[in-house]
Amino acid sequence: MTGARYLQPRMYLHIPTLFLFLFFILPLIALVILSFWQTENYKIVRDWTILNYETLATVPAYITFFFRSLVMAIGVSLFLVVLSWPIAFFIVRYGGRFKLVLSLLLVIPFLSGEVLRLIALQGMLGPAGLVNGALVRLGGVPLRFIMYSDTASFIAFVYLYLPMVVTTIYLSLLNFDFRLASAASACGAGKFRIFIEVIWPLNLSGTLIGFLLSFIPTLSASLVPRFLGGPNGTLYGMSMAQQFGESGTWALGAAMGVVLFLFSAGALAILSLGVNLRRTGFTGMGRQ
Amino acid sequence: MSDGSPYIRIDNVSRRYGPVCALEDLSVEIEQDEFIAILGPSGSGKSTLLRLIAGLDQPSTGKIFFKGQDVTDLPPHKRGIGMVFQEFLLFPHRTVRENLAFPLRMTKETPAKIAARLDWVEGVLSLGGLMDRYPNQLSGGQQQRVALGRGLVAHPTLLLLDEPLANLDRELRQEMEVEIRRYQKQLGIPFIYVTHNQEEALSMSDRVAVIHKGRLEAMGERQAIYDHPATPFVARFVGKSTRFDAVVEASGSSARLLHYNYSLPLDNTAALKPGAHVDVFVKNERFDMKPWEEERPGIPCAIVDVVLRGPFFEYILETDRRDRIIAVQPKRAEPIPIASRMLLSWNASQCHVFPVAG
Repeated sequence: MTGARYLQPRMYLHIPTLFLFLFFILPLIALVILSFWQTENYKIVRDWTILNYETLATVPAYITFFFRSLVMAIGVSLFLVVLSWPIAFFIVRYGGRFKLVLSLLLVIPFLSGEVLRLIALQGMLGPAGLVNGALVRLGGVPLRFIMYSDTASFIAFVYLYLPMVVTTIYLSLLNFDFRLASAASACGAGKFRIFIEVIWPLNLSGTLIGFLLSFIPTLSASLVPRFLGGPNGTLYGMSMAQQFGESGTWALGAAMGVVLFLFSAGALAILSLGVNLRRTGFTGMGRQ
Repeated sequence: MSDGSPYIRIDNVSRRYGPVCALEDLSVEIEQDEFIAILGPSGSGKSTLLRLIAGLDQPSTGKIFFKGQDVTDLPPHKRGIGMVFQEFLLFPHRTVRENLAFPLRMTKETPAKIAARLDWVEGVLSLGGLMDRYPNQLSGGQQQRVALGRGLVAHPTLLLLDEPLANLDRELRQEMEVEIRRYQKQLGIPFIYVTHNQEEALSMSDRVAVIHKGRLEAMGERQAIYDHPATPFVARFVGKSTRFDAVVEASGSSARLLHYNYSLPLDNTAALKPGAHVDVFVKNERFDMKPWEEERPGIPCAIVDVVLRGPFFEYILETDRRDRIIAVQPKRAEPIPIASRMLLSWNASQCHVFPVAG
């Protein structure tokens, strides 16, 4: 009886641990090992080597892809934070009893698949798409920069991850005690000061999570550039997917995966260690 | 004020939320160095009044003047007020020092002045050793002192306190009552103190404003509010009292209780007609209790229980009609034993009689 009681709470922990080990840790280890091997003629050669990493660090194309991805991920995430704040703020402050409905509306695009959404965007942004088609009909010049370009990818990323970022900031603001803003106001702070000194810092951790939720998938994205990036819009993740597909250079692909993993983990570490949680009002004990 | 206008003037202020009237046509004048308590049950509109004075809310009609200047349309940060909230509302991401410096930074004081003021507030509120802690590392009483300090540090025109002691335990509350009153006398600015706790209101303030259903029921010196309630609501709400149904007797100069064989003289200033129904309010500590005797005027009753309240005994009495009455008596000797039969009466000049509406 006492034994069973003792076991029960441990079960809660053991089952997820086992799951994570089998389907998260083991594949990652496999990926790391593979990245130090080689592939020749669609066969894995088990010779330990760092050749894959050398290739990634020296071949200009891979370097370009990587920095294009990095700049894209930072740009998209920053833009999303700026765009999402007013939306989330509006829902929390003025949503009233429609708050829940308004926040659920953001999830509607998720009801269809990602590929479908990208094809729809292709239809919007392409040469004969809705935007350019209308422009041409009205006697204008089509906008070249939204046709199969980095800009098109950028728009697609913003479209894909907007609900994530808005939702995280929305949840953060929902838990924010707006009476603190009244207190700041009574202390002599104007609207701008209240935002800078109280609202923003106390919602910084939520904002950073939103940032990372768009940064990490954008950094490794393969579908968006494939559908919308055009010939000069190849991103790192897309190139990685090609290693596992057409080219059959799995080991190189694995090395790219490791690079992406390290960079994402790095971004996570910088943002979470670089932020003093105390200064974001985080006490680990909930709202006090 | 040199021009003779009151320090704070609230002039015919109303606040409506749609069809709901939270405050109706309320006027109050407050002098400098006055401690005003705004007393009312929850939902009476007392917090709305405070928010209007603070500028956190705008009146639907009416004006608010600080030192003769119309501040009705000014936002809170331009009114030069200090405010203390029931939930303290300290900035959780800032240390005590930073919380206290916040109002000073907002008014762009020089670093030297900020340091001087922080020293001052640290001394006045005995916050030594707490300055570099975060709010969640403080006890409730410490947080309360920091909240007070944040309200006072910028030397505001007036300090608004919204039930600041409601979240503290009883002992601490009584200690803070004395402290807060001392700060007010020291600083010489008006404190406007909102509370639903009449003990707090009476122990701290100079004058009490009683608010009920958005209206000002009474305003006056605390002793007057307690001893001479102007309305039945005040009689019921301020102090603990018992209500009796009575009717004016034929002579017009006495009233007889409906359910008891007891009548009391009535100085019939309100010219109540014989047969008119009245409510008689008697404060619990104003009852006279004597051992029961046949043929003497009074309400016969039996002691059901005795509650010890420090220097007082609280006798819980039951009348023959099974009505419960509480009588408070100073503790002089041993309490009267339970089940003793007593006779309850009171001095007619010590009770309050109001005609029953309708």
